[in-house]
Amino acid sequence: MDPVLEQQVEVPPRGPQKAARGAVSSRSSVKRRILVDRIARRLVTLGGVVIIASILAILIVIGIEVYPLAGQPAVTSGATSTAAGGGTPLAIGVDEYVETAFIADGGGITLISFKSGSVLPSPSLAGLGSARIVSASPAGRGVFALGLSDGRAIPVEVRFNVSYIESGRKVEPEVVAAAPLAVDPSKRPIERLAHIVGPDGAVTAAQLGAREIILLSVKETKALVGEAKREESRKTLSLPSQGEITALAIDARGDNLFAGTSMGEIVSLGLREETEPEVTRLGREQDETAPSITALGFLNGDRTLVVGDAAGGVTSWQVLQDAGGDRRLTRIYKFVSHEGPVIAFAPSRRDKGFLTADGSGAIKLHYATTGKTLLDVPAGGAEDSAAASLAALSFAPKADGFVTADAAGRLSHFRLDNPHPEVTWQSLFGKIWYEGYEKPEQVWQSTGGTDDFEAKLSLTPLIYGTLKGTFYALLFAVPLALLGALYTSQFMHPAIKGTVKPVVEIMAALPSVVLGFIAGLWLAPMMEKVVPGLFLIPVVVPVLVLLSLALWRLLPTPARTWVRPGYEVVLLVPVVTLGIWISLGLGGLLEAALLSGDYRGWLLRALGLTYDQRNSLVVGFAMGFAVIPIIFTIAEDSLSNVPQHLVAGSLALGATRWQTAVRIVLPTASPGIFSAVMIGFGRAVGETMIVLMATGNTPIMDWSIFNGFRALSANIAVELPEAPEGGTLFRVLFLAALLLFMMTFVVNTVAELVRLKLRKKYRYL
Amino acid sequence: MSRFWKSGDPFIWLTAGGLAFSLLMVAGLILLILANGLGFFWPKDVVLLVMDDKTAVMGQVMDREEIPQPGAPPETPKKYRIQVKQGNRDIYGQDFTWVDESRIARRERPDDAIVIERREWGNFVGTLREVREDGRPVAGGGDDGWNALEARLPQAARLLAEIRRIEKTEIGAVNHAQEKIRLNLKKLSAQGRGEGPEAARLKAELGALQTGYAEMETALGAAKKKDTTSVVAAAVGGQEKELPLTQVVRAYRPNAMGSGAKAAFYAAKVWEFVADAPRESNTEGGVFPAIFGTVMMVMIMSLVATPLGVLAAFYLREYAQQGPFVSAVRIAVNNLAGVPSIVFGVFGVGFFVYFVGGSLDRLFYPESLPTPTFGTGGILWASLTLALLTLPVVIVATEEGLAAIPGGLREASLALGATKFETTWRIVLPAVMPSILTGLILAMARAAGEVAPLMITGVVKLAPALPLDSFWPFLHMDRKFMHLGFHIYDVGFQSPNVDAARPMVFTTTLLLLGIVLVLNLAAIVLRNRLRKKYALGTL
Repeated sequence: MDPVLEQQVEVPPRGPQKAARGAVSSRSSVKRRILVDRIARRLVTLGGVVIIASILAILIVIGIEVYPLAGQPAVTSGATSTAAGGGTPLAIGVDEYVETAFIADGGGITLISFKSGSVLPSPSLAGLGSARIVSASPAGRGVFALGLSDGRAIPVEVRFNVSYIESGRKVEPEVVAAAPLAVDPSKRPIERLAHIVGPDGAVTAAQLGAREIILLSVKETKALVGEAKREESRKTLSLPSQGEITALAIDARGDNLFAGTSMGEIVSLGLREETEPEVTRLGREQDETAPSITALGFLNGDRTLVVGDAAGGVTSWQVLQDAGGDRRLTRIYKFVSHEGPVIAFAPSRRDKGFLTADGSGAIKLHYATTGKTLLDVPAGGAEDSAAASLAALSFAPKADGFVTADAAGRLSHFRLDNPHPEVTWQSLFGKIWYEGYEKPEQVWQSTGGTDDFEAKLSLTPLIYGTLKGTFYALLFAVPLALLGALYTSQFMHPAIKGTVKPVVEIMAALPSVVLGFIAGLWLAPMMEKVVPGLFLIPVVVPVLVLLSLALWRLLPTPARTWVRPGYEVVLLVPVVTLGIWISLGLGGLLEAALLSGDYRGWLLRALGLTYDQRNSLVVGFAMGFAVIPIIFTIAEDSLSNVPQHLVAGSLALGATRWQTAVRIVLPTASPGIFSAVMIGFGRAVGETMIVLMATGNTPIMDWSIFNGFRALSANIAVELPEAPEGGTLFRVLFLAALLLFMMTFVVNTVAELVRLKLRKKYRYL
Repeated sequence: MSRFWKSGDPFIWLTAGGLAFSLLMVAGLILLILANGLGFFWPKDVVLLVMDDKTAVMGQVMDREEIPQPGAPPETPKKYRIQVKQGNRDIYGQDFTWVDESRIARRERPDDAIVIERREWGNFVGTLREVREDGRPVAGGGDDGWNALEARLPQAARLLAEIRRIEKTEIGAVNHAQEKIRLNLKKLSAQGRGEGPEAARLKAELGALQTGYAEMETALGAAKKKDTTSVVAAAVGGQEKELPLTQVVRAYRPNAMGSGAKAAFYAAKVWEFVADAPRESNTEGGVFPAIFGTVMMVMIMSLVATPLGVLAAFYLREYAQQGPFVSAVRIAVNNLAGVPSIVFGVFGVGFFVYFVGGSLDRLFYPESLPTPTFGTGGILWASLTLALLTLPVVIVATEEGLAAIPGGLREASLALGATKFETTWRIVLPAVMPSILTGLILAMARAAGEVAPLMITGVVKLAPALPLDSFWPFLHMDRKFMHLGFHIYDVGFQSPNVDAARPMVFTTTLLLLGIVLVLNLAAIVLRNRLRKKYALGTL
């Protein structure tokens, strides 16, 4: 077009001015028209691009949110302080923002600022007197105790008071020391110490000498009037072991005291009632020489005990019921070993992570839920060789870093980037040995009542639930939809097709929340009453249909002509209604006669199945409403589009209508039917509201049709609003969405490709 | 016998049976919802059940069911129990009670039984004792009291409306203005101008508002003082309750009502349902905010989905050269149609709410952070999510329409020298308009019924304010909203009082189903007309 226009322009104006102006304006108008046309073309193409972009965007956005789950933890070294100079540190701790730290050493507690790297003016401990501090209990959470050289112990708490002022945040440390406890009347130095403030008061366990432990419990009862009552009880324990005590730990509830020995034994002593001390050996075999235990401590939540030994081994243990019903200390996981003896242990206060360090200064980060060692900080990570003499270790309260102290009292801060430690391939899909469980299991339980709750994020029960719901829905929907589609496309009179197809479309349009509501609140209680009858329907209704056909054929011909072929369905609606009614009645009778009137009792006795009111039977039926119309429409479409000459040919050769339908039409259209079932599958997999409302949403793994389940989709709908953005649960839920997307994407793409191929095939037939 | 099978008819009948079953399912469901949803507002008679131990229950009979007798021999006579809505939750602890029929000694329908719908604590069922003004009785029980009560109710309603107006509209406006000034001050201090003249002006304004606020408080107190009329009624056990009339939504004596009065009552209740806000944690009152939220969300969604869908359809049918890219677009469209709705919701959360919304907050609303403005679920994000979800519906319908337009039309237009765009704009678009409309209607129906993605992108069980109000900028796209479908889920499954909520849920279901079905039927009718039109070639 353009060359023609150029030519026109070059022709000199011959006519009057007007015409020339006309030509000019026409030229600009043509240009404008072409411009508009081009813009429109771009815009429309953009419309197509937007579609692809949105599918890609869904994939990418969800992928971006999921990706950090796969990230590896990383450590970077931060500030280092000057040495406190009080000798070997016994315990260290740091505030939430890693601005201020404290060191407990022989002479007292020293406060150190990480901001300036210098020692802050530190208060002296009032009760210390002339004694030296010789031991300390782990300073991880709140109150800990310092053991003195004269047999006393001082419970201490270092509080970091945070206030917000004009220029920002201000952290002020405060050392709160309680009155010293006279643990050992004979004033021997305390070798080792464990101290907790449990629900029944403070409990202090102090090791004096190689094998002796003094247990001091202080109970303070606050009376409404008058002074608080203070009760002290002291007990001396001796261990039933040849080895020396090398480590002590008490759980925060005050249930048990655990002592590690130089013979590699863990001795467990019940604190609540008088029980025989129980000895567990670290080695598996009885005669195996086990290395000395060098570190012992509880993780956040005080259920998992971590043991480090002289050979560098790190293991986690829990008190579990064994087959005989006894509670025994059981080994859960073995972590990656250190090269030298484990000398320090520090639990995270946020999750089930913990750090261990060996004498060379190498630090490892482990995660107790998954049994994985996440990170390895080799010795000398902090430039100079001072780190080689690591003496104490502490996790930052927010679990975003940790602090080490060397023998000279020099503190080093390490920043830790470890947002999703609890997620591994194994914890998402495989079996994990959770706290309090008797064996490794696949569990979904994302939130709990307490802060130290161990999140259980196995997606397997949810995938299982999704597939279970889909299976029962398809079991119900596929036969009905395909029978209906075959009838509608091949045998139905065109006159009533015009009514039936809109009805099916209406069925497709029913909002799933309506189906879910009816299924959950109306259908589930109704079905519960007539379960045996429901299982008779697939038998009774077909028999009744056949019976009515036989009766129909007995009728004299004139009577039969008022229903033309293709109208059978009208005749059958009352028959099917009657069939359902008979089945339900018969079910009641059968239940009374064979199942002694109580099918639930029978299910439990004969099959060992329990019956939930909201179960897969209800879901299967309700989801049928959502899936039947989809399968019906697509299958009907491909069945009716089978070229008519094939059908005509078959009928002309003398085949019956049924033979033609089954041998000619069905095989030709089978790819279409396949794609119909696939798309139905996709719909059932992603259905949310029905499964949310009509199942009990219990994440159990059980194929029973009488139990509920929890599906991926319903789980997302319930938990995503509560999940904090960027947290592990949030990302795992995105992963669940990604799984759903993948499932439906594959299914839909395959179905679409099959249909495209079928369309091509019809064109050539 | 073998001829019976060989004819193939048994199989044909079996396939027909399968279809009949599916059709019965649809019909049964719709009938069920109609039966349960329509009857709820009809005033039921109040019965007084005197039991064999002389205790009595008064209330409306809601349900009757067989008492299961497991293990009993088949000839045992069946036993039944009835569910009575006895109201008076504040006295009895629960609205509903089950009564064993065999224990009922006597049933009565006392003419003077009165049902009072209260703003709190559900219904009161009992008999009228007294009407009081300023604590002095002005009328006793019986017809006399009833007339006195009826005469005073409209005035009480006006008083309540006055109190509400002051509380919501006037004090609400002051609160809104104060919040705005507070945010502006925060913004100024963030810019380091926290002490300048501008800040001083704002602070002065804040002071002025404070005075205005105090005045309104006085007006409110005065209005509340006028609330002196009360009614005393006795429950069946003899306990008396004094209720201020402003606490009464309506009172009626069902046993004394004729059919006409009942029909009027029914109409009033239906109107309340459609036009009023919910009460009693959504189990009473109306669903107006939910209707409003649904309509609004569907409208915003349509504004986005229609142009995009139409463009995509035009691309596929009119502009694109067949090739791998077009195949990819088609597969994408089919996938968009097949991706579970909850996945769209998750995408909405990740992209719209946290990415786009979060960025908007950081750019334009830093003064109110960390409280998110757009960085949390809201009507805009929910609408956009649903627009994506319904895009394929518009595309498919438009494509179908484009395919039906005879190619000759386009060729004629092009032959006359029109550009491609002119042909599309002037010839194809008008012809395909009805198809676009069909697609739009179907998309609206789909969006109105969809709940799962909304649950995570901005629907709430009770929204404090509608997304549209009298404060600048009038349309608040960042607000959370209520939705009919979510209302069903929430009231039906999260409500503490399921028995009381169930009829309400059925009615809401009926409303939602009605909307969706009407939209769908409209689309079907429109499409059938179109098909006929093109089939006859009248274009």
